[in-house]
Amino acid sequence: MQKIDKIILGDNQFFGINHMSQEKAQQLAEKFFDINNIYHVYQLAFQAGIRAVMLNSNDRAKDICEYFRANNSKYSEINWYPSIPYPHKYANLISEKGIFPTINDVLLKDNTALGVLGMMTKGGAAVLGKDVIKIMQMLIDVEMKMFKGLNTKVIFLQNIITDLFLGFGIREIFSAYCDYIRNKYNVLPGFITQNMPILKAKLELWGIEGVVICSSFNKIGYLMSPNIEAYIETSDNNDTAKYQLMAMSTLASGAIPAKEAYEFINKQKIQSVVFGASSKGHIEETMKLIQI
Amino acid sequence: MINIGIIGLGRMGITHYSIINSHPNVKIKAVVDTSSLVLTLVKKYIDNIHTYTDYNELFEKESLDAVIICTPPTLHYPIARKAAEKGIHVFCEKPFTTKMTQADELATLFEQKQLVNQVGYVNRSNDIFQSIKKYIKDGIIGDVVRFKSEMYSRTITKSEGGNTWRDCREKGGGAIFEMASHAIDLVNYIIGKPDKVTGSSLTSIYSKNVEDAVNATFLYKNGISGTLYVNWSDESYRKPTNKLEVLGSKGKILADQHEIKIFLKKELPHYHLHEGWNIRYITDVFKPVPFYVRGNEFTSQLYHFIECMTNRDKINLCSFRDARDTLEVIEEIFTDYEQNGKF
Repeated sequence: MQKIDKIILGDNQFFGINHMSQEKAQQLAEKFFDINNIYHVYQLAFQAGIRAVMLNSNDRAKDICEYFRANNSKYSEINWYPSIPYPHKYANLISEKGIFPTINDVLLKDNTALGVLGMMTKGGAAVLGKDVIKIMQMLIDVEMKMFKGLNTKVIFLQNIITDLFLGFGIREIFSAYCDYIRNKYNVLPGFITQNMPILKAKLELWGIEGVVICSSFNKIGYLMSPNIEAYIETSDNNDTAKYQLMAMSTLASGAIPAKEAYEFINKQKIQSVVFGASSKGHIEETMKLIQI
Repeated sequence: MINIGIIGLGRMGITHYSIINSHPNVKIKAVVDTSSLVLTLVKKYIDNIHTYTDYNELFEKESLDAVIICTPPTLHYPIARKAAEKGIHVFCEKPFTTKMTQADELATLFEQKQLVNQVGYVNRSNDIFQSIKKYIKDGIIGDVVRFKSEMYSRTITKSEGGNTWRDCREKGGGAIFEMASHAIDLVNYIIGKPDKVTGSSLTSIYSKNVEDAVNATFLYKNGISGTLYVNWSDESYRKPTNKLEVLGSKGKILADQHEIKIFLKKELPHYHLHEGWNIRYITDVFKPVPFYVRGNEFTSQLYHFIECMTNRDKINLCSFRDARDTLEVIEEIFTDYEQNGKF
């Protein structure tokens, strides 16, 4: 399995996401309302030596991708780690219309899916039942469109979707996702999860290997189900030829001081860390502290 | 093993399925949905599960211990009633019912039959709001004087045709049933049910037939008063956000789902709280859950439901009676607005 970057700059800080404080989240949202402030942080990160970026396929990511594509010659060394989909895009629609009409809307809006509409209305349940994997593939393509032309290393499935399907325990969804990402995009499939030990055990049981698993990993066990002990045991016994582990939320949204947080992380058998920072000082400090 | 059926596989139905399927003592035996597409997929990808398009058939054919009801709200009553007849425990999504007579009947029926009954007002399972409830019960801010309960989201941000269930109050649509019910339930949970509702105003911003924003004043015989303000057409919020502010004789609490700010006139060393402002984050008070989908509180509430089935001494965190009380406040807001809020 191709090795992933050890240090990756995340994107939560740009989009008003903070799992600890909504006030902090709002402050960040205000700061990065001007997209040039986002580009500036990327610039600082690249100057500090970062060569990898994780980005969720939300509306603003489209502009960011466009910018980097336009300046591709300048940023050709940068590796991209997209995560798909942007779940809030679907959440409201699903409440209102149901799952399939929502999928239909999303695909139709993208103009790629007249065939799907026909499948759903004319062919009905039997046809759809056979082709649900095909629909998933079309949704992946819709979400990945914005990343076209960027140097992608891993395509991650967002944790809301991963964990929802994990709860259902459907092997076919996971294997079909991985196959499609490998075959069509020629990159590593990845899953973001808040249930890393449970997901990894399932993937092993299903014989799905060559996967990157990104999960919260921090000293206080925040957003780590079922518990921190299971995370440590799972990473200790991990075969990195089969699964590479990436840690996110290493500071637990700021609850743990950076030094203390990375002292813990550096002791774990983790292959990569994705972190969010928006100042030169924080980026450089984090780069120094991460010694995995 | 506890055998469960899930009725309604919309957004909440699939969330609950995913969560409860992780419980070691639970077996999901059957699901009900009117969409043949959904049922086809369930049959194709999930082994050993029965599917039905009619809940009556589920109750006739399956031997179940409990059902999780996630249908549109108008169906909650007939389904829960049928479950009670069969002696089956019920977890029902909010807003429970849209009619007081039905809520009353179900609350009494399940109490008489001693069946576990719970409604999905999920804030009651949130670690922050549970902490606040304890703080206030312990009297750390003294006697409650005033409060504000607010909720915001960007759920409805453009005009719709007025044909969806969301735009029909009778079907459980509108900002009050869908969203304010959470903020009202939080008041009932933490402060108690108000004795009087006054000053209600409802505003339609985008919706044709229902309100998108509401505010109201809650009064209590013991002198407490508080306000409710809910708006589901506020695009400045990325995610649905609850805010609660409680002023007491000895201090004040400000909170959302992620943090608590506590202002105290005098320090309380036993609680590690000093004079002035203190902050507690979710990272300080969270309890890990065995399996995570969409938030700790969603897992906590369903595991609590299962626990109430196996440990019958356990008091349910959000019973039908509690949800009935929340509905009573909702009805009072509607009535107050009809009588006093219109020109």
